[in-house]
Amino acid sequence: MTPRLALHAMTKTYSGNTVLHGVDLTVLPGEVHGLLGENGAGKSTLLNILCGVIASDGGSIEIDGKLVSISSPREAAQAGVAMIHQELQQVPELTVAQNIFLGAAKRRAGGLFVDRAAQEAEARRLLQPLDPAIDVTAPVRDLRVAQRQIVEIAKALRANARIIAMDEPTSSLTPKEFERLVQVIGGLAASGVSIIYVSHKMDEVFRLCQTATILRDGKLISQVPIPATPVRGVIELMVGRELATATHQSFATDKVLLRVKGLTRGTAVLDAGFDLHAGEVLGIAGLVGSGRTELMRLIAGVDRADAGVVEVAGKPVPGHSPRARIKAGLGLVPEERKRDGIIRQRPVSSNIGLPSMREFSRLGIIRSARLKARSEELMREVNLRPLDVTRPIGSFSGGNQQKVIIGRWLASDTRIFLFDEPTRGIDVGAKAEIYDLIEGLAREGRAVIVVSSELPEVMRVSDRVLVMREGRISADLGPGQITESAIARAAIPA
Amino acid sequence: MTPSPSPLPLLSRIRFRDAGTLLGLILISVVFASLTPVFLTAPNLVNILQQSSINACIALGMTLVIISGGIDLSVGPVAALSGVLGAAMLVAGVPIPLAVAGALVVGLFCGFLSGALIAWGGLQPFIVTLGGLSLFRALALIFTGGTPIFGLPDGFRAVTNGSLLGVPNPVIIVAVLALLAWVILNKTPLGEYFMAVGGNPEAARIAGVPVTMTKLAAYMISGLMAAVASMILIGRLGAAEPTLGSLWELDAIAAAAIGGASLMGGRGSIIGTLIGCIILGTLRNGLTLMNVQAFYQLLATGIIIIVAMLIDKATSGKQG
Repeated sequence: MTPRLALHAMTKTYSGNTVLHGVDLTVLPGEVHGLLGENGAGKSTLLNILCGVIASDGGSIEIDGKLVSISSPREAAQAGVAMIHQELQQVPELTVAQNIFLGAAKRRAGGLFVDRAAQEAEARRLLQPLDPAIDVTAPVRDLRVAQRQIVEIAKALRANARIIAMDEPTSSLTPKEFERLVQVIGGLAASGVSIIYVSHKMDEVFRLCQTATILRDGKLISQVPIPATPVRGVIELMVGRELATATHQSFATDKVLLRVKGLTRGTAVLDAGFDLHAGEVLGIAGLVGSGRTELMRLIAGVDRADAGVVEVAGKPVPGHSPRARIKAGLGLVPEERKRDGIIRQRPVSSNIGLPSMREFSRLGIIRSARLKARSEELMREVNLRPLDVTRPIGSFSGGNQQKVIIGRWLASDTRIFLFDEPTRGIDVGAKAEIYDLIEGLAREGRAVIVVSSELPEVMRVSDRVLVMREGRISADLGPGQITESAIARAAIPA
Repeated sequence: MTPSPSPLPLLSRIRFRDAGTLLGLILISVVFASLTPVFLTAPNLVNILQQSSINACIALGMTLVIISGGIDLSVGPVAALSGVLGAAMLVAGVPIPLAVAGALVVGLFCGFLSGALIAWGGLQPFIVTLGGLSLFRALALIFTGGTPIFGLPDGFRAVTNGSLLGVPNPVIIVAVLALLAWVILNKTPLGEYFMAVGGNPEAARIAGVPVTMTKLAAYMISGLMAAVASMILIGRLGAAEPTLGSLWELDAIAAAAIGGASLMGGRGSIIGTLIGCIILGTLRNGLTLMNVQAFYQLLATGIIIIVAMLIDKATSGKQG
């Protein structure tokens, strides 16, 4: 069979730094092809070249056996290539139909006016097999993420795409929405469209893909048949070393450090209450939308609760602002790192010192040498790479940015760490480091809450697991009770 | 573990940007020096600093506001209002230090009003200070009935018209204020807060930065600087016109932008802004010396701003 897509010997160098070393990628018609690798392995660069966003320094692209040249996104679209980005590239205020026809509006009256009716009819036809419930006249803003993704797929089909690349398409989908996406991808593949599927989640890759190409450090490591290769083997190819088997060790004491009582906000969080002990790692599981993130934000003072009390070491925390909660010893490591975590253009040391600038100052002047030394000390502990605290945080990878945010709370003597999806967008190697850091915090007697959508993650790090369902805490699972089925039973609405 | 080739660290990157602004100033100066012999004489250079000092004063406050992610369009009218109220007090015989302090309090208060609406009210800085632009001008006009206030006491004028070792007092005053602004921005928690709030307000709030107070501080400093600028101006003119300070906001924004401040917030430099002010001052001075019509001076100013932005874009783009 002639491959649908054959990338051959793709090479890319940025100012002397080679990020792709002659990588090949072959995708068959109607195949779902996993593209795997740690962050920085070259996946994005490869896809960006395929989509005409950046130019390669060498290599060739063949589609259906014909050599093509792709030097702009427009040429990529003409060649039948579409990409569904992780952060969807839509105009939220425009309707579904308008977004589907963005840049390729149907016209009438000799091209003078946009033919909305024709666009809407066509959009309806495209969406029919994907998700007929989507209203083509609704603004995209009103759609859930999963539906917006379907709209992007419809847009790709509108442009007659034969190759659709999806970059971490499930990072904010519920299990139900994921099932729908599995169906949609299956349908696309059956109609002959080839899918390039980028994901860090092995269970998805194993569910969906027939083949996977594994990159590491910009080099092609291997192309493997998927169900035939064991998960562990795939991960080891990605990471380039053997994985140590994880063991969980508990440092929980019976000293209550954080007590939450009756915390409520609208219908997102209803009457949530629990105790958290020194040295304990408390996992919070539940479906997306069950109120986990909202609960974290209430505890951290980011949002204001309608009712309820937060006590630290037996004393109610005065005030509602994040600042007040930080003073009491709470620190939030947010899910949306770029939006809520980092000040991109500021150096690592400034990002670390932000909550405790006053402690680093004398007579109103920041002691920069001390801040820098303390930052370096902390970043050495968490293994920041490269270890340069004067570099802007935005120039680091996701995993390293996460280490800086953790360092921020270490620098301000935080006793209670609130992690919301601590390893989202972080590659497999750095994940293990974050887990070790969490365990280290517990060993030092701090208390930790970890919200996560990934059950293996929750089960690996937690001493105890709370499950949330529709804003309420539906289960409190102690040691020995933490199983996938117990969590799932409590998480899924009856 | 080999670290990947690192881009320039932020600190030296900002200095790098300042060096670029300075290079621009030197280039412009070389051109004028070769075209007109009067340009490169000590009295003329002092003159340029003197002429740039009022804009520099305004631009210092503007830079802090811009870095914190805002904009202050109301600086000119704030200067006018504090100028006429200060002048009225001086003419009425209020002791000079007290009258000046009064004028500065007016400036602070105007900044507080804008800042409160922006920080607590959550309104957009552009619109709030656009409102302030009309409002404060109107108050200045209503208070004076539209006519200038004359007869400022000599003791007051002596301060702004005097000089120390050949350096005019306004230049010294603004240099001291610039040093203070530099210390605030680069050495104090407030400066870190300005950059954090301008860079990412939500992340700053979650990290415990007092966002409201930070924004308020920026606008109050800007109002204060506007009042200082008005004191310098009315001292030199000997009169306070309610129409003074017209279009000051634009020169100040231009100087900050030439100096490397990003109107998106989170980035800017006091040294860069100062050089930006001197670039604008030099341009006007040089063109005037060459008897170029005012229309063409305006044209040159516009071109300089756009060229500076193009160079900025081209050089910062490469460093990611």
